[in-house]
Amino acid sequence: MTDEAPVERHSVTSRGMFGIWGDLMLTSVFIAVVSLALFWMAAFTLWWQMHAWRTPEVLASTRFSSPDGGEHLSFSLLIPARHEQAVLDHTVQRLLESGHTDFEIIVIVGHDDPETTAVAEAAAARDPRVRVVVDTHEKKNKPRAMNTALPHCRGDVVGVFDAEDQVHPSLLAHVDHAFRSTGADVVQGGVQLINFHSSWYSLRNCLEYFFWFRSRLHLHAQKGFIPLGGNTVFVRTGVLREARGWDPDCLAEDCDLGVRLSSAGRKVVVAYDSDMVTREETPGSLMSLLRQRTRWNQGFLQVHRKKDWRRLPTFGQRMLARYTLMTPFLQAFSGLIIPLNVAIAIFLDVPVGVAFITFLPAVTALVTFVFEVVGLHDFGKQYGLRVRFAHYLKLVVGGPFYQVLLAGAAIRAVWREQRGRTDWELTTHVGAHLDPTATTAHDAATVSRDAATVSRDASAATREDVPA
Amino acid sequence: MTSTLPAATAPKVPARRRPVPAGGPAGRTRPPGRLRSSRSDLILCGVLLVVILVVQGWNIGDYPTLSDDEGTYLAQAWAVQEGRGLAHYTYWYDHPPLGWIQLAVLTWIPAVISPESMTVGTMRGVMLLISGVSAVLVHVLGRRLALPRWAAGLGMLIFGLSPLSVVLQREIFLDNLAVMWTLLAFTLAASPSRHLWHHFGAGVAAAVGVLTKETMLVVLPALFVTAWRHSHRDTRKFALTGAVTACALIGLSYPLFALLKGELFPGSGHVSLWDGVVYQMTRPGSGFVLDEGSGSWGVLQSWLYYDRVLPLGGLAGALLLLATWRWSVTARALAGPALTVAILAALALRPDGYLPAMYIIQALPFLALVLAGGTAGVAHAVLRRGRQATGGRPPTWSRYALAGALALAACLHVVPRWYEGARTAVTTEANAPYRAASAWMATEVADPADTRVLVDDAMWLDLVHAGYRPGPGVIWFYKADLDPAVTDTLPNGWRDIDYVVASPTVRRDAKDLPNVAGAIAHSQPVAVFGTGEDRIEIRRVDTTGGSR
Repeated sequence: MTDEAPVERHSVTSRGMFGIWGDLMLTSVFIAVVSLALFWMAAFTLWWQMHAWRTPEVLASTRFSSPDGGEHLSFSLLIPARHEQAVLDHTVQRLLESGHTDFEIIVIVGHDDPETTAVAEAAAARDPRVRVVVDTHEKKNKPRAMNTALPHCRGDVVGVFDAEDQVHPSLLAHVDHAFRSTGADVVQGGVQLINFHSSWYSLRNCLEYFFWFRSRLHLHAQKGFIPLGGNTVFVRTGVLREARGWDPDCLAEDCDLGVRLSSAGRKVVVAYDSDMVTREETPGSLMSLLRQRTRWNQGFLQVHRKKDWRRLPTFGQRMLARYTLMTPFLQAFSGLIIPLNVAIAIFLDVPVGVAFITFLPAVTALVTFVFEVVGLHDFGKQYGLRVRFAHYLKLVVGGPFYQVLLAGAAIRAVWREQRGRTDWELTTHVGAHLDPTATTAHDAATVSRDAATVSRDASAATREDVPA
Repeated sequence: MTSTLPAATAPKVPARRRPVPAGGPAGRTRPPGRLRSSRSDLILCGVLLVVILVVQGWNIGDYPTLSDDEGTYLAQAWAVQEGRGLAHYTYWYDHPPLGWIQLAVLTWIPAVISPESMTVGTMRGVMLLISGVSAVLVHVLGRRLALPRWAAGLGMLIFGLSPLSVVLQREIFLDNLAVMWTLLAFTLAASPSRHLWHHFGAGVAAAVGVLTKETMLVVLPALFVTAWRHSHRDTRKFALTGAVTACALIGLSYPLFALLKGELFPGSGHVSLWDGVVYQMTRPGSGFVLDEGSGSWGVLQSWLYYDRVLPLGGLAGALLLLATWRWSVTARALAGPALTVAILAALALRPDGYLPAMYIIQALPFLALVLAGGTAGVAHAVLRRGRQATGGRPPTWSRYALAGALALAACLHVVPRWYEGARTAVTTEANAPYRAASAWMATEVADPADTRVLVDDAMWLDLVHAGYRPGPGVIWFYKADLDPAVTDTLPNGWRDIDYVVASPTVRRDAKDLPNVAGAIAHSQPVAVFGTGEDRIEIRRVDTTGGSR
């Protein structure tokens, strides 16, 4: 495959030399442009993904600084709970074990959800720091529930947790210190999926969280544009009220709040400590992961369309915002194009130089793969989890399939947004991460828990889609 | 050569990095300042650079004698510029092509302005750029490896002014380009900010170095050690994996290139990367380097003829540093260069390896750094050793006197010899016969376009500019016997040749090449330039008996 060979080979056809040359040139230029665009996209994403590990100093700066012992802020901790009777009580009890002296817990339940309400009322009866707020909205979703509770908050700072969250007892003291020492308006703590051994996709899902909270979010905080996470997020109550709480119609209300607060110039601080993160579980089935991802993607699309990010002061911030909010779709696109591009380079007669360019995105993807493997190792080390060879294998082999899943979710999100379907698809939680054996990774335990996950998920399937 | 670096200069060393204590965030050293904002470093480096460039650049086209290899690489760079592919004969994977692709880029602008300037003598000028960059990198690397300023400057000076360096770095050798990339890789690996992407860049630079001259492959372990020592334990696994991945992926582009061309594996009717590697690995050895009378011995003597201080002193220094690894801070700081020297020395000591004359080029900067580090160690031992106990008072006069005496002795030994080397380099006119022969061929032959000449590689481009047809008209002499594409155009063997420009190389190699030997045997010298062994004869082939 040399520069001249293809021309000679085709010159017998009736279309003549110039036509073939023109076609080949056009194909080559097209492929080169697409490849270079993909390369830059992948390179930027990789650059950002590796933010925390750039230098030892950056890595050190991503951690919480040690609290000074003084506790001056009061917290109102919101727990929106919908059909979460299985896990809610455990979460509340654990929150009550917190070392901080000044906080209240507000559990928000729906008026049509007596089981969860009963659990919440029981908890409130046991401890005066727990209160229950009933959300009477006809259409229920998380932002509406939290907006319902916002007027009841008495603390200086509002914190949000999900009903299945495992919160570290000294987290509040660290957040308190972070607010006071940095003068922040918002503090985002780390959230980490832990059950990487449950399935091939949960492995990748855990690692996504790891790279996002461990590394990338810090870059966003530094650049002044940040899509906040859904929980372990703390906002000064005044700031939150001024921003009129959460957007009740947005599918990614957390991201939207972050974008609005950053656009208003609020200072956001992110801190990550592996022993201080809020532990969560991955969705119980591939289908619920797909639904969750579809909801997020659709939410990102909505936030992009709301155009709050246009108020960001600098061009770079606006570009970062645009790019971040479009990432799911770019990801889907590149996942489909990279293999196609490589196939073209190998099977089509393009000049060697162009063929080389088509390999650039694949090379970047390979580098990303390698860093993911190292990331998995670091994840295991940080959380004291035993990562076996099979997990690394799963990570690598599962990569392309996960890409297909992401692409599917992105396409589904666009389709739903186009059709005007903006109802919530909730994710169910079965409490896989609450099992104390979960961190020891005994195979037997894993298998039995997986079985439980599947059966519970099947029974819960009916309540996943909250009717519109 | 002692166990510690000069303590008095330590605070002034911005790039100084101790291995950070294992405790993580606590005890982490402050990020060191930037070298480029240090005025004294800039001035020292600038002055030394000017001196080096003057000594290396003056008379660069006339000394040393044009070498065959320079002609080969430059002609291939010319082929790249002209869009004739990677070589003007079939590219057969003898070396990765990146080296002369870089040469093509470097010589591109002068070649566009004046195409006739694309000859070995003229284009040696671009090597000044490479030497200059390499010399600066030696200084920066020395500083990053915790050498005091004067020692880093000394290393730069040794690297740039050793007569051996002056001779070898003037020539258009791929090794010089590869050395620059390898130095860049070491400098990035020793980055004081311990930045992930600096280490990644070190991997990329190392891969470019290897693709420029494949022998750089053996240096990679020493580079890895350097990167390991200059990374922090918290981020090390990411940094080093990044560096290795980058190096491997860029390096793999060479086999990928062969694969895309369908030339990865041997097959009938085409060259292949496999065959190229097999050829390089099975090259006939030149004997044991310490075996008097072997080819390798001769190569070693040719190096020592120019300079003994750098090769022997550097080697001894490297061995000493490796031996004192456990006790000496200097030894650990200079682990990378010392290990590089050790690896290269061990390879040169293979019982029957092939030892090319430019082999030592890749060791030069590391020999220089090790020698400078050793000198810094000795200076420290003389001036500071045992001073801590006496409360850090300034050194006594006796110590200064001893240091001065040692420095004077070293200068008395080195300076006259190096001065002589530099004088030879800037005054000798070694290439007059070449130029005269090339002028004769350009003016005295009636119809260059229709004349077939055997020449060595060094003169090939001159004759191309004089109007001879590149390839079948003006022929690299050994291609007349070894390249089927050329022998096909010579059905009557030597009888199809009109002239032979018999340089020493042509006469030496002709014994194994029937067509070339035939052409020489059946020809009469029509012009002779120079005298004795080094003379260049232009011989017209007696074709009266042939049928053309």
